[in-house]
Amino acid sequence: MNTLLQITDLHASIGGKEILKGINLTINAGEVHAIMGRNGAGKSTLSAVLTGNDKYEVTAGSVLLNGKDLLAMPAEIRAREGVFLSFQYPVEIPGVSMVNFMRTAVNEKRQYEGKEPLSATAFLKLMREKKAGLDMADKLNNRSVNEGFSGGEKKKNEIFQMAMLEPCLSILDETDSGLDIDALRVVADGVNRLKTPHNASIVITHYQRLLDYIVPDFVHVLEDGRIVKTGGKELALELEQSGYAQFE
Amino acid sequence: MTEERIIPAGEKQEWVFIDEPTLDLHVCQQAGSSLRIILINLSSATNILHIDHTAPNCHTEIYALAFLHGTDSVSTHTRMHHDKGEGVSEQVIKFVLDDESKGAFVGELKIKPDAQQVDARQTNRNLLLSDLATMRTQPQLEIYADDVKASHGATTGQLDESALFYMRQRGIAPETGRKMLLRAFMDDIVDRVQDDDQHQRLVEAIDRVLQ
Repeated sequence: MNTLLQITDLHASIGGKEILKGINLTINAGEVHAIMGRNGAGKSTLSAVLTGNDKYEVTAGSVLLNGKDLLAMPAEIRAREGVFLSFQYPVEIPGVSMVNFMRTAVNEKRQYEGKEPLSATAFLKLMREKKAGLDMADKLNNRSVNEGFSGGEKKKNEIFQMAMLEPCLSILDETDSGLDIDALRVVADGVNRLKTPHNASIVITHYQRLLDYIVPDFVHVLEDGRIVKTGGKELALELEQSGYAQFE
Repeated sequence: MTEERIIPAGEKQEWVFIDEPTLDLHVCQQAGSSLRIILINLSSATNILHIDHTAPNCHTEIYALAFLHGTDSVSTHTRMHHDKGEGVSEQVIKFVLDDESKGAFVGELKIKPDAQQVDARQTNRNLLLSDLATMRTQPQLEIYADDVKASHGATTGQLDESALFYMRQRGIAPETGRKMLLRAFMDDIVDRVQDDDQHQRLVEAIDRVLQ
Protein backbone atom coordinates (compact mmCIF):
# COMPACT_ATOMS: atom_id res chain seq x y z
CA MET A 1 0.00 0.00 0.00
CA ASN A 2 1.39 3.37 -1.04
CA THR A 3 1.17 5.82 1.87
CA LEU A 4 0.28 9.28 0.62
CA LEU A 5 -0.24 11.24 3.81
CA GLN A 6 0.89 10.42 7.29
CA ILE A 7 -0.20 12.63 10.18
CA THR A 8 1.42 11.85 13.53
CA ASP A 9 0.38 13.39 16.85
CA LEU A 10 -0.49 16.74 15.26
CA HIS A 11 -1.17 19.61 17.64
CA ALA A 12 -2.11 23.11 16.44
CA SER A 13 -3.39 26.29 18.01
CA ILE A 14 -4.67 29.72 17.07
CA GLY A 15 -4.08 32.74 19.27
CA GLY A 16 -2.67 30.48 22.00
CA LYS A 17 -5.79 28.28 22.07
CA GLU A 18 -5.13 24.64 21.23
CA ILE A 19 -7.58 23.31 18.63
CA LEU A 20 -5.93 20.11 17.39
CA LYS A 21 -4.85 17.93 20.29
CA GLY A 22 -2.99 15.01 18.75
CA ILE A 23 -4.32 13.88 15.36
CA ASN A 24 -3.09 10.57 13.93
CA LEU A 25 -4.18 9.65 10.44
CA THR A 26 -2.69 7.63 7.59
CA ILE A 27 -4.08 7.94 4.09
CA ASN A 28 -3.09 5.60 1.28
CA ALA A 29 -3.34 6.25 -2.43
CA GLY A 30 -6.76 5.39 -3.82
CA GLU A 31 -8.64 6.04 -0.58
CA VAL A 32 -11.44 8.44 0.34
CA HIS A 33 -11.55 9.48 4.01
CA ALA A 34 -14.47 11.34 5.51
CA ILE A 35 -13.94 13.50 8.57
CA MET A 36 -17.10 14.26 10.47
CA GLY A 37 -17.74 16.19 13.61
CA ARG A 38 -19.55 19.08 15.17
CA ASN A 39 -18.83 22.75 14.67
CA GLY A 40 -15.70 23.65 16.57
CA ALA A 41 -14.37 20.09 16.66
CA GLY A 42 -11.35 21.17 14.60
CA LYS A 43 -12.32 20.02 11.09
CA SER A 44 -11.57 23.29 9.31
CA THR A 45 -8.46 23.83 11.43
CA LEU A 46 -7.12 20.51 10.17
CA SER A 47 -7.61 21.59 6.55
CA ALA A 48 -6.04 25.01 7.27
CA VAL A 49 -3.01 23.42 8.93
CA LEU A 50 -2.51 20.89 6.13
CA THR A 51 -2.62 23.64 3.49
CA GLY A 52 -0.24 26.00 5.32
CA ASN A 53 -2.48 28.79 6.54
CA ASP A 54 -0.15 30.98 8.63
CA LYS A 55 -2.88 31.93 11.10
CA TYR A 56 -2.46 28.56 12.81
CA GLU A 57 0.60 27.48 14.73
CA VAL A 58 1.66 23.85 14.72
CA THR A 59 2.94 23.13 18.22
CA ALA A 60 3.80 19.42 17.88
CA GLY A 61 3.66 16.47 15.55
CA SER A 62 4.55 15.78 11.95
CA VAL A 63 2.89 15.46 8.56
CA LEU A 64 4.50 13.61 5.67
CA LEU A 65 3.24 13.86 2.09
CA ASN A 66 4.79 11.16 -0.09
CA GLY A 67 7.49 10.94 2.56
CA LYS A 68 8.32 14.67 2.46
CA ASP A 69 7.96 17.02 5.43
CA LEU A 70 4.77 18.89 4.50
CA LEU A 71 4.88 21.28 7.46
CA ALA A 72 8.27 22.65 6.34
CA MET A 73 6.82 23.82 3.01
CA PRO A 74 5.17 27.20 2.39
CA ALA A 75 1.54 27.06 1.23
CA GLU A 76 2.28 27.47 -2.48
CA ILE A 77 4.85 24.63 -2.48
CA ARG A 78 2.36 22.32 -0.75
CA ALA A 79 -0.09 23.15 -3.53
CA ARG A 80 2.49 22.42 -6.23
CA GLU A 81 3.33 19.12 -4.47
CA GLY A 82 -0.31 18.19 -5.00
CA VAL A 83 -2.32 19.33 -1.97
CA PHE A 84 -5.58 20.92 -3.02
CA LEU A 85 -8.21 22.52 -0.81
CA SER A 86 -11.75 23.01 -2.01
CA PHE A 87 -12.57 26.00 0.19
CA GLN A 88 -15.69 26.12 2.31
CA TYR A 89 -15.94 29.78 1.32
CA PRO A 90 -14.18 30.33 -2.02
CA VAL A 91 -12.66 33.81 -2.14
CA GLU A 92 -13.74 36.46 -4.65
CA ILE A 93 -10.86 38.20 -6.45
CA PRO A 94 -12.18 41.26 -8.29
CA GLY A 95 -10.27 42.21 -11.43
CA VAL A 96 -8.45 38.87 -11.83
CA SER A 97 -10.10 36.80 -14.56
CA MET A 98 -10.60 33.04 -14.15
CA VAL A 99 -8.45 32.45 -17.25
CA ASN A 100 -5.55 34.55 -15.99
CA PHE A 101 -5.78 33.05 -12.49
CA MET A 102 -5.92 29.45 -13.67
CA ARG A 103 -3.24 29.88 -16.30
CA THR A 104 -0.87 31.36 -13.73
CA ALA A 105 -1.58 28.52 -11.30
CA VAL A 106 -1.13 25.77 -13.91
CA ASN A 107 2.06 27.28 -15.29
CA GLU A 108 3.64 27.92 -11.88
CA LYS A 109 3.05 24.25 -11.09
CA ARG A 110 4.48 23.16 -14.45
CA GLN A 111 7.54 25.31 -13.90
CA TYR A 112 8.01 23.72 -10.45
CA GLU A 113 7.89 20.31 -12.13
CA GLY A 114 10.44 21.41 -14.73
CA LYS A 115 7.90 21.49 -17.57
CA GLU A 116 7.41 24.13 -20.26
CA PRO A 117 4.49 26.54 -19.72
CA LEU A 118 1.34 25.77 -21.71
CA SER A 119 0.64 27.93 -24.75
CA ALA A 120 -2.55 30.00 -24.76
CA THR A 121 -4.27 27.60 -27.16
CA ALA A 122 -3.22 24.47 -25.31
CA PHE A 123 -4.38 26.06 -22.08
CA LEU A 124 -7.82 27.02 -23.40
CA LYS A 125 -8.26 23.51 -24.81
CA LEU A 126 -7.39 22.05 -21.40
CA MET A 127 -9.91 24.37 -19.73
CA ARG A 128 -12.64 23.21 -22.10
CA GLU A 129 -11.86 19.55 -21.46
CA LYS A 130 -11.82 19.91 -17.70
CA LYS A 131 -15.07 21.83 -17.60
CA ALA A 132 -16.91 18.96 -19.28
CA GLY A 133 -19.63 17.53 -17.08
CA LEU A 134 -19.47 20.36 -14.56
CA ASP A 135 -22.32 22.31 -16.13
CA MET A 136 -20.42 25.60 -15.98
CA ALA A 137 -21.18 28.50 -18.31
CA ASP A 138 -18.38 29.57 -20.70
CA LYS A 139 -18.85 33.18 -19.70
CA LEU A 140 -17.33 32.35 -16.31
CA ASN A 141 -13.89 32.21 -17.98
CA ASN A 142 -13.74 35.93 -18.48
CA ARG A 143 -15.36 36.86 -15.20
CA SER A 144 -13.30 37.71 -12.15
CA VAL A 145 -12.51 34.74 -9.90
CA ASN A 146 -15.70 33.82 -7.99
CA GLU A 147 -17.01 37.38 -8.23
CA GLY A 148 -20.79 37.35 -8.42
CA PHE A 149 -20.86 33.54 -8.69
CA SER A 150 -23.78 31.79 -7.01
CA GLY A 151 -23.06 29.34 -4.18
CA GLY A 152 -23.35 26.41 -6.59
CA GLU A 153 -21.13 28.07 -9.21
CA LYS A 154 -18.43 28.71 -6.61
CA LYS A 155 -18.34 25.07 -5.54
CA LYS A 156 -18.33 23.83 -9.14
CA ASN A 157 -15.50 26.25 -9.78
CA GLU A 158 -13.52 24.65 -6.94
CA ILE A 159 -13.96 21.20 -8.50
CA PHE A 160 -13.04 22.61 -11.91
CA GLN A 161 -9.79 24.00 -10.44
CA MET A 162 -9.15 20.61 -8.84
CA ALA A 163 -9.55 18.97 -12.27
CA MET A 164 -7.11 21.48 -13.79
CA LEU A 165 -4.42 20.99 -11.14
CA GLU A 166 -4.72 17.18 -10.75
CA PRO A 167 -3.76 17.05 -7.07
CA CYS A 168 -2.64 13.86 -5.31
CA LEU A 169 -4.49 14.89 -2.14
CA SER A 170 -7.78 16.79 -2.28
CA ILE A 171 -9.36 18.20 0.83
CA LEU A 172 -13.02 19.04 0.37
CA ASP A 173 -14.02 21.36 3.21
CA GLU A 174 -17.81 21.37 3.68
CA THR A 175 -18.24 21.20 -0.07
CA ASP A 176 -21.92 20.39 0.40
CA SER A 177 -22.75 23.53 2.36
CA GLY A 178 -25.10 25.81 0.51
CA LEU A 179 -25.71 23.39 -2.37
CA ASP A 180 -29.07 22.21 -3.62
CA ILE A 181 -29.40 18.55 -4.51
CA ASP A 182 -28.75 19.04 -8.25
CA ALA A 183 -25.57 21.04 -7.70
CA LEU A 184 -24.49 18.53 -5.05
CA ARG A 185 -24.83 15.72 -7.57
CA VAL A 186 -22.81 17.61 -10.21
CA VAL A 187 -20.06 18.42 -7.70
CA ALA A 188 -19.94 14.84 -6.34
CA ASP A 189 -19.85 13.36 -9.87
CA GLY A 190 -16.97 15.73 -10.64
CA VAL A 191 -15.05 14.53 -7.58
CA ASN A 192 -15.75 10.85 -8.38
CA ARG A 193 -14.53 11.24 -11.96
CA LEU A 194 -11.21 12.59 -10.69
CA LYS A 195 -10.60 9.57 -8.45
CA THR A 196 -7.66 7.39 -9.51
CA PRO A 197 -5.61 4.65 -7.78
CA HIS A 198 -2.88 7.26 -7.30
CA ASN A 199 -4.71 10.03 -5.51
CA ALA A 200 -6.79 10.38 -2.35
CA SER A 201 -9.40 12.67 -0.84
CA ILE A 202 -10.36 13.93 2.57
CA VAL A 203 -14.03 14.88 2.69
CA ILE A 204 -14.89 17.13 5.60
CA THR A 205 -18.58 17.31 6.35
CA HIS A 206 -21.22 17.68 9.04
CA TYR A 207 -23.79 15.61 7.32
CA GLN A 208 -24.10 12.16 5.91
CA ARG A 209 -25.86 13.54 2.78
CA LEU A 210 -22.69 14.20 0.75
CA LEU A 211 -21.42 10.70 1.56
CA ASP A 212 -24.35 9.16 -0.35
CA TYR A 213 -22.64 10.53 -3.45
CA ILE A 214 -18.96 10.46 -2.54
CA VAL A 215 -18.65 7.10 -0.82
CA PRO A 216 -15.81 7.01 1.71
CA ASP A 217 -13.58 4.05 2.50
CA PHE A 218 -13.14 5.34 6.05
CA VAL A 219 -15.11 7.66 8.30
CA HIS A 220 -13.41 9.42 11.21
CA VAL A 221 -15.17 11.27 13.97
CA LEU A 222 -13.36 14.37 15.17
CA GLU A 223 -14.25 15.63 18.63
CA ASP A 224 -12.40 18.28 20.62
CA GLY A 225 -9.30 18.13 18.41
CA ARG A 226 -8.89 14.35 18.35
CA ILE A 227 -10.12 11.47 16.21
CA VAL A 228 -12.31 9.58 18.66
CA LYS A 229 -13.70 6.91 16.36
CA THR A 230 -12.90 5.39 12.97
CA GLY A 231 -15.08 3.07 10.92
CA GLY A 232 -16.33 2.25 7.45
CA LYS A 233 -19.02 4.13 5.54
CA GLU A 234 -21.72 2.69 7.82
CA LEU A 235 -20.35 4.88 10.65
CA ALA A 236 -21.69 7.96 8.86
CA LEU A 237 -25.20 6.48 8.82
CA GLU A 238 -24.90 5.57 12.46
CA LEU A 239 -23.93 9.15 13.31
CA GLU A 240 -26.91 10.44 11.37
CA GLN A 241 -29.11 8.33 13.70
CA SER A 242 -27.43 8.83 17.03
CA GLY A 243 -25.66 12.21 16.72
CA TYR A 244 -22.35 13.32 18.13
CA ALA A 245 -23.38 13.63 21.79
CA GLN A 246 -22.15 10.09 22.52
CA PHE A 247 -18.57 11.31 22.05
CA GLU A 248 -18.67 14.04 24.67
CA MET B 1 -0.54 79.28 -12.91
CA THR B 2 -3.99 77.92 -13.50
CA GLU B 3 -4.68 77.02 -17.07
CA GLU B 4 -8.19 77.88 -18.28
CA ARG B 5 -9.86 75.63 -20.80
CA ILE B 6 -13.31 75.61 -22.37
CA ILE B 7 -15.20 72.64 -23.76
CA PRO B 8 -17.60 74.09 -26.34
CA ALA B 9 -21.26 73.08 -26.38
CA GLY B 10 -21.86 69.53 -27.58
CA GLU B 11 -18.17 68.65 -27.81
CA LYS B 12 -16.63 65.50 -26.44
CA GLN B 13 -13.01 65.41 -25.28
CA GLU B 14 -10.64 62.97 -23.58
CA TRP B 15 -7.45 64.09 -21.90
CA VAL B 16 -4.81 61.74 -20.60
CA PHE B 17 -2.10 63.04 -18.29
CA ILE B 18 0.72 60.66 -17.43
CA ASP B 19 3.29 61.59 -14.82
CA GLU B 20 2.99 65.37 -15.05
CA PRO B 21 4.50 66.92 -11.91
CA THR B 22 1.95 69.74 -11.74
CA LEU B 23 -1.47 70.08 -13.16
CA ASP B 24 -3.65 73.08 -12.44
CA LEU B 25 -6.69 73.23 -14.67
CA HIS B 26 -9.89 75.21 -14.61
CA VAL B 27 -12.34 73.83 -17.14
CA CYS B 28 -15.64 75.42 -18.13
CA GLN B 29 -17.98 72.98 -19.79
CA GLN B 30 -20.69 74.37 -22.04
CA ALA B 31 -24.11 72.83 -22.70
CA GLY B 32 -24.14 69.13 -23.55
CA SER B 33 -20.35 68.76 -23.54
CA SER B 34 -18.49 65.68 -22.36
CA LEU B 35 -15.10 65.43 -20.78
CA ARG B 36 -13.10 62.44 -19.66
CA ILE B 37 -9.87 63.00 -17.75
CA ILE B 38 -7.47 60.17 -17.01
CA LEU B 39 -4.71 61.08 -14.64
CA ILE B 40 -1.83 58.74 -13.81
CA ASN B 41 1.02 59.56 -11.42
CA LEU B 42 3.94 57.24 -10.81
CA SER B 43 6.01 59.89 -9.01
CA SER B 44 5.49 63.05 -6.95
CA ALA B 45 2.89 65.49 -8.25
CA THR B 46 0.30 68.10 -7.36
CA ASN B 47 -2.99 68.06 -9.21
CA ILE B 48 -5.79 70.60 -9.11
CA LEU B 49 -8.76 69.93 -11.34
CA HIS B 50 -11.54 72.44 -11.22
CA ILE B 51 -14.50 71.63 -13.45
CA ASP B 52 -17.53 73.90 -13.85
CA HIS B 53 -20.73 72.72 -15.46
CA THR B 54 -21.73 76.22 -16.58
CA ALA B 55 -24.68 74.93 -18.61
CA PRO B 56 -27.11 71.98 -18.42
CA ASN B 57 -26.48 68.44 -19.56
CA CYS B 58 -22.72 68.26 -19.13
CA HIS B 59 -20.90 65.02 -18.50
CA THR B 60 -17.57 64.64 -16.68
CA GLU B 61 -15.51 61.59 -15.79
CA ILE B 62 -12.31 61.79 -13.78
CA TYR B 63 -10.24 58.63 -13.31
CA ALA B 64 -7.05 59.08 -11.34
CA LEU B 65 -4.39 56.65 -10.19
CA ALA B 66 -1.25 57.31 -8.19
CA PHE B 67 1.18 54.43 -7.63
CA LEU B 68 4.02 55.63 -5.42
CA HIS B 69 7.25 54.42 -3.86
CA GLY B 70 10.08 55.82 -1.75
CA THR B 71 9.22 59.17 -0.26
CA ASP B 72 7.14 60.40 -3.22
CA SER B 73 3.89 62.19 -2.57
CA VAL B 74 0.88 63.05 -4.66
CA SER B 75 -1.85 65.48 -3.77
CA THR B 76 -4.97 65.49 -5.91
CA HIS B 77 -7.65 68.08 -5.41
CA THR B 78 -10.83 67.96 -7.46
CA ARG B 79 -13.41 70.72 -7.50
CA MET B 80 -16.47 69.46 -9.29
CA HIS B 81 -19.00 72.26 -9.51
CA HIS B 82 -22.43 71.55 -10.88
CA ASP B 83 -23.79 75.06 -11.56
CA LYS B 84 -26.56 73.88 -13.88
CA GLY B 85 -28.81 70.84 -13.91
CA GLU B 86 -29.09 67.44 -15.56
CA GLY B 87 -25.36 66.94 -15.44
CA VAL B 88 -23.46 63.78 -14.62
CA SER B 89 -20.09 63.51 -12.93
CA GLU B 90 -18.16 60.43 -12.01
CA GLN B 91 -14.86 60.42 -10.15
CA VAL B 92 -12.81 57.34 -9.35
CA ILE B 93 -9.62 58.21 -7.52
CA LYS B 94 -7.18 55.49 -6.50
CA PHE B 95 -3.88 55.54 -4.63
CA VAL B 96 -1.44 52.66 -4.18
CA LEU B 97 1.18 53.67 -1.62
CA ASP B 98 4.35 51.74 -0.86
CA ASP B 99 7.40 52.49 1.33
CA GLU B 100 7.08 55.94 2.94
CA SER B 101 5.02 57.53 0.20
CA LYS B 102 2.16 59.88 0.92
CA GLY B 103 -1.15 60.47 -0.78
CA ALA B 104 -3.75 63.16 -0.29
CA PHE B 105 -7.14 63.57 -1.91
CA VAL B 106 -9.56 66.42 -1.46
CA GLY B 107 -12.79 65.92 -3.32
CA GLU B 108 -14.93 68.99 -3.39
CA LEU B 109 -18.33 68.38 -4.90
CA LYS B 110 -20.69 71.31 -5.12
CA ILE B 111 -24.22 71.10 -6.47
CA LYS B 112 -25.66 74.59 -6.72
CA PRO B 113 -29.37 75.51 -6.27
CA ASP B 114 -29.99 75.64 -10.04
CA ALA B 115 -28.49 72.25 -10.63
CA GLN B 116 -31.52 69.96 -10.34
CA GLN B 117 -31.40 66.33 -11.47
CA VAL B 118 -27.69 66.03 -11.25
CA ASP B 119 -26.11 62.60 -10.80
CA ALA B 120 -22.73 62.92 -9.07
CA ARG B 121 -20.56 60.05 -7.86
CA GLN B 122 -17.21 60.14 -6.15
CA THR B 123 -15.21 57.07 -5.15
CA ASN B 124 -11.81 57.09 -3.48
CA ARG B 125 -10.04 53.74 -2.90
CA ASN B 126 -6.57 53.44 -1.47
CA LEU B 127 -4.18 50.59 -0.83
CA LEU B 128 -1.39 50.91 1.69
CA LEU B 129 1.43 48.44 0.99
CA SER B 130 3.64 49.46 3.88
CA ASP B 131 3.18 50.50 7.50
CA LEU B 132 4.94 53.79 6.82
CA ALA B 133 2.82 54.93 3.87
CA THR B 134 0.09 57.43 4.67
CA MET B 135 -3.12 58.57 3.02
CA ARG B 136 -5.32 61.54 3.83
CA THR B 137 -8.70 61.72 2.23
CA GLN B 138 -11.23 64.46 2.54
CA PRO B 139 -14.51 64.38 0.65
CA GLN B 140 -16.40 67.69 0.81
CA LEU B 141 -19.94 67.62 -0.43
CA GLU B 142 -22.02 70.77 -0.61
CA ILE B 143 -25.44 70.18 -2.00
CA TYR B 144 -27.94 73.05 -2.42
CA ALA B 145 -30.41 71.46 -4.85
CA ASP B 146 -33.06 69.02 -3.62
CA ASP B 147 -33.65 66.75 -6.61
CA VAL B 148 -30.21 65.23 -7.14
CA LYS B 149 -28.29 62.00 -6.67
CA ALA B 150 -24.93 62.36 -5.02
CA SER B 151 -22.81 59.57 -3.61
CA HIS B 152 -19.34 59.33 -2.24
CA GLY B 153 -17.27 56.64 -0.63
CA ALA B 154 -13.71 56.41 0.58
CA THR B 155 -11.85 53.30 1.71
CA THR B 156 -8.24 52.77 2.70
CA GLY B 157 -6.90 49.27 3.32
CA GLN B 158 -4.33 46.61 2.60
CA LEU B 159 -4.15 43.87 0.01
CA ASP B 160 -6.71 41.14 0.68
CA GLU B 161 -4.88 38.46 2.69
CA SER B 162 -7.59 35.86 2.10
CA ALA B 163 -7.28 36.37 -1.68
CA LEU B 164 -3.50 35.97 -1.39
CA PHE B 165 -3.89 32.74 0.55
CA TYR B 166 -6.43 31.43 -1.97
CA MET B 167 -3.89 32.09 -4.74
CA ARG B 168 -1.06 30.45 -2.81
CA GLN B 169 -3.27 27.40 -2.22
CA ARG B 170 -3.45 27.09 -6.00
CA GLY B 171 0.36 27.17 -6.25
CA ILE B 172 0.78 30.85 -7.09
CA ALA B 173 3.84 32.38 -5.37
CA PRO B 174 2.99 35.25 -2.98
CA GLU B 175 5.01 37.78 -5.05
CA THR B 176 3.11 36.78 -8.20
CA GLY B 177 -0.21 36.90 -6.37
CA ARG B 178 0.55 40.35 -4.96
CA LYS B 179 1.34 41.67 -8.44
CA MET B 180 -1.85 40.17 -9.85
CA LEU B 181 -3.94 41.81 -7.13
CA LEU B 182 -2.21 45.17 -7.58
CA ARG B 183 -2.59 45.05 -11.34
CA ALA B 184 -6.29 44.20 -10.94
CA PHE B 185 -6.75 47.19 -8.64
CA MET B 186 -5.02 49.55 -11.08
CA ASP B 187 -6.38 48.11 -14.35
CA ASP B 188 -9.73 49.59 -13.50
CA ILE B 189 -8.18 53.00 -14.22
CA VAL B 190 -5.46 52.05 -16.72
CA ASP B 191 -7.83 50.18 -19.04
CA ARG B 192 -9.88 53.31 -19.56
CA VAL B 193 -7.10 54.77 -21.69
CA GLN B 194 -8.46 54.18 -25.19
CA ASP B 195 -5.44 54.96 -27.35
CA ASP B 196 -3.60 51.63 -27.86
CA ASP B 197 -0.06 53.05 -27.92
CA GLN B 198 -0.66 55.18 -24.88
CA HIS B 199 -2.25 52.23 -23.07
CA GLN B 200 0.70 49.99 -23.94
CA ARG B 201 3.24 52.54 -22.71
CA LEU B 202 1.34 52.94 -19.48
CA VAL B 203 1.11 49.18 -18.89
CA GLU B 204 4.87 48.91 -19.46
CA ALA B 205 5.61 51.80 -17.10
CA ILE B 206 3.54 50.16 -14.36
CA ASP B 207 5.17 46.77 -15.02
CA ARG B 208 8.57 48.35 -14.53
CA VAL B 209 7.49 49.74 -11.17
CA LEU B 210 5.95 46.39 -10.17
CA GLN B 211 9.20 44.49 -10.76
